[in-house]
Amino acid sequence: MLTFIGRRLLATIPLLFFVSLVVFSFVHVLPGDPAVLFLGEEAMPETLAQFRTRLGFDRPLTAQYAEWLGRALQGDLGRSLRTNQPVAEAILQRLPVTLELLAAALLVSLAIAIPMGIVSAVKRNSGVDLMSTVFALVGFSMPNFWLGLILIYVFALFLRWLPPSGFVPLPADLAENLRSLILPAITLGTALAALVTRQLRSGMLEVLRQDYVRTAQAKGLSQRLVVGKHALKNALIAVVTVVGLQIGGLLGNTIITETLFALPGVGRLMIDAIFSRDFFIVQGVILFLAVGYVLSNLVVDVVYSYLDPRIRLR
Amino acid sequence: MKAWRALTMLLALGALAAPDRMIAAAEGQGRGGMIRIGMDADNTTMDPHRSTAAVDRQVYNNLYGKLVDIDTRFGIVPQLARSWDIKNGGLTYVFKLRRGVTFHDGTDFNAESVKWNFDRMRDPALASPRRSEIAPVKDVKVVDPYTVEVTLSAPFTPFLSVLSDRAGMVVSRDAVEKYKDDFARNPVGTGPFRFVEWVKDDHLTLRRFDGYWEKGLPHLDEVVYRPIPDSSVRFTAMRTGQIDFMHQIHPKDVAAAKTERGLKVSEIPSLWWEAVHLNNQVAPFNVKPLRQAVWYAVDRTVIQRVVYYNQGAPAWSPFPPSMWAQDRDFTDWRRDPAKARAKLTEGGMPKGLSFTIKGWNQPTQVQELQIIQAQLKEIGVDMKIELLEFGKLLADLNSHNFVALRLGWSGRPDPDGNAHAFLHSKGGLNRVRYGNARMDELLDQARSEADQAKRKALYAQVTRLAAEDAPYIWLHHDAEVKVWAEHVKGFEHISDGMIRLKGVWLEKR
Repeated sequence: MLTFIGRRLLATIPLLFFVSLVVFSFVHVLPGDPAVLFLGEEAMPETLAQFRTRLGFDRPLTAQYAEWLGRALQGDLGRSLRTNQPVAEAILQRLPVTLELLAAALLVSLAIAIPMGIVSAVKRNSGVDLMSTVFALVGFSMPNFWLGLILIYVFALFLRWLPPSGFVPLPADLAENLRSLILPAITLGTALAALVTRQLRSGMLEVLRQDYVRTAQAKGLSQRLVVGKHALKNALIAVVTVVGLQIGGLLGNTIITETLFALPGVGRLMIDAIFSRDFFIVQGVILFLAVGYVLSNLVVDVVYSYLDPRIRLR
Repeated sequence: MKAWRALTMLLALGALAAPDRMIAAAEGQGRGGMIRIGMDADNTTMDPHRSTAAVDRQVYNNLYGKLVDIDTRFGIVPQLARSWDIKNGGLTYVFKLRRGVTFHDGTDFNAESVKWNFDRMRDPALASPRRSEIAPVKDVKVVDPYTVEVTLSAPFTPFLSVLSDRAGMVVSRDAVEKYKDDFARNPVGTGPFRFVEWVKDDHLTLRRFDGYWEKGLPHLDEVVYRPIPDSSVRFTAMRTGQIDFMHQIHPKDVAAAKTERGLKVSEIPSLWWEAVHLNNQVAPFNVKPLRQAVWYAVDRTVIQRVVYYNQGAPAWSPFPPSMWAQDRDFTDWRRDPAKARAKLTEGGMPKGLSFTIKGWNQPTQVQELQIIQAQLKEIGVDMKIELLEFGKLLADLNSHNFVALRLGWSGRPDPDGNAHAFLHSKGGLNRVRYGNARMDELLDQARSEADQAKRKALYAQVTRLAAEDAPYIWLHHDAEVKVWAEHVKGFEHISDGMIRLKGVWLEKR
């Protein structure tokens, strides 16, 4: 297992090189001049030139890339063009918000999807099954900013149960922290819940037809044990695959969720940086997200082998 | 010269009287407390000499002292400069500075600080966006510890109004030398509030500066700015009491805000203009009658009604109704399809024409463009809409890569700041490459003329000539709207939209 993890980590190095190259070139071919965005439309041409020289933007792209990469390898991702804050510091400052949001969204989606998926498979074509189908359809097709606005309208404005925006850090106040995450987590997690419900339902239906399930039932095991242990574990393989693949999508959707609920997370850092062409921040965040994505897929692989010992990690 | 002295005296007297009035208001009223302000965006930097985002100025106005400020009627009032003399036909400005003012870091504010701040803005190495604003400044001299003399290369009447914004904000030299580039996150000024902390995209906190020079001010203990980018969510935060004061409300929400219990709404004309920029150097709009055709085809009142929910005002010049320079007698801006068609014929395109307009992919602006599209269609003009991200839109504007482009201007308190850069052939923002020698003459004259009545007459001529040449199709002047909770008292609403907090206090609830 350890050799497997080590080897996978080594394999990510060329991948990250590739990512860094793509990120760097994308950022620099983006239309829009950072100098104009920083100095304003009225800036004099010589002032603009001065700015480009100061930040080295007037040098060939290859030289800029080499310098950025060289520093990145030493852990220095550069500084924000606007606030001069080190990029790594800016990311680390916001990481807890985004990680907590992701974890909460994942929790919400699994808490909805697993019971719903199981029940709708076991009680196929029942009222519950129909409800779960409708939920899946609506949940998956609803744009999440729209869902977020509706949740805010109902739970913040109409019922006044939850705050409409903002984030309270975990160490400051646990209860407020959780309250501030409920609506964002539902907003972010609903689409995934819908997807997982459908996956689990079809996975369960498949597994419940298998011989070993019939054998287990014939042995006189309780329905709970057959479904909960024998069937579920195998059906979860498909779920883990889906969740693993969707982590990337979830990360992307944090941009919308964080902007809507005014949460100071990594997604918002990135979108602000893109709009203001704060190059080093954009590069740093995307590189960081790529690492996160690679690692989360590694975790998925490890979970596979737990769920199905026949899957060997090599 | 006599008129200037009298004016200066009057202003100085006004300044002496003002603090007393404020102290009186504070007595027996709520002193202390915290105000939470919902912003549309976060600050980009805390260094006023490097800032380009309009939102930055909101915090700066409470953190930094400025040489002068503006009042509700755009009069220039003293702040760090307690009086000034304008000599040599408007070439020399002698500022008498206030004594006993200290920066938040305890250092002294004096003539040296002012000179050092001007030098910093003018230093090419800093690449300060302020440099072009104070381009007429030739020399800054310390006369005595509390007197500064600024010499201009040519008379520039808007100079004081420029100093009422970021160019007039004084930063602590010690702090800049100590923090260098990190000054952007460690600001030190002389304003009523000092900087406490800034957690980007979450909150920015200021606290009362006990050493503030205006005795008894400010009333509040603490100010917390919270960026909430989505306007519906920001308004919900306002309605649910998460914030006490709201910056930037969407026009559609204003009616609801007015009827909501516990909220106060103030709506005044802003300094903004919104316009279609027509590229005067490329076909088809290098032909004047074709620009005029668009001028007459657009119905500005419909735009005001539909897009802006009847707020603000239709625009026919760069001068909003809040400005003394607006020519209210001018009426040749109303929609006239017959005239528009005649102009098309005159321009050699009797069957109409087709062009593409570039715009920002933002709902209000898209709606506005669609209305214009429909109105132009009626005279046989086919306008295609190309929506772009803001950075790309600016890049295309600056490289003249457009036939038509829709963009607004946040405006400046002096009319010169709304017109010169856009209409002068050498203007820094004249991206439409419009040039008319008569226009240049009028604008330059208005800029160096000190008498307001004469300037008004000149700007009336500018208005008419700009309508005749139609390099821009002005559409709308936005309303400046602020919303706050009932327990917030003492806010004075000025057209520049700044939330000045030194006189604001909270009623005990």
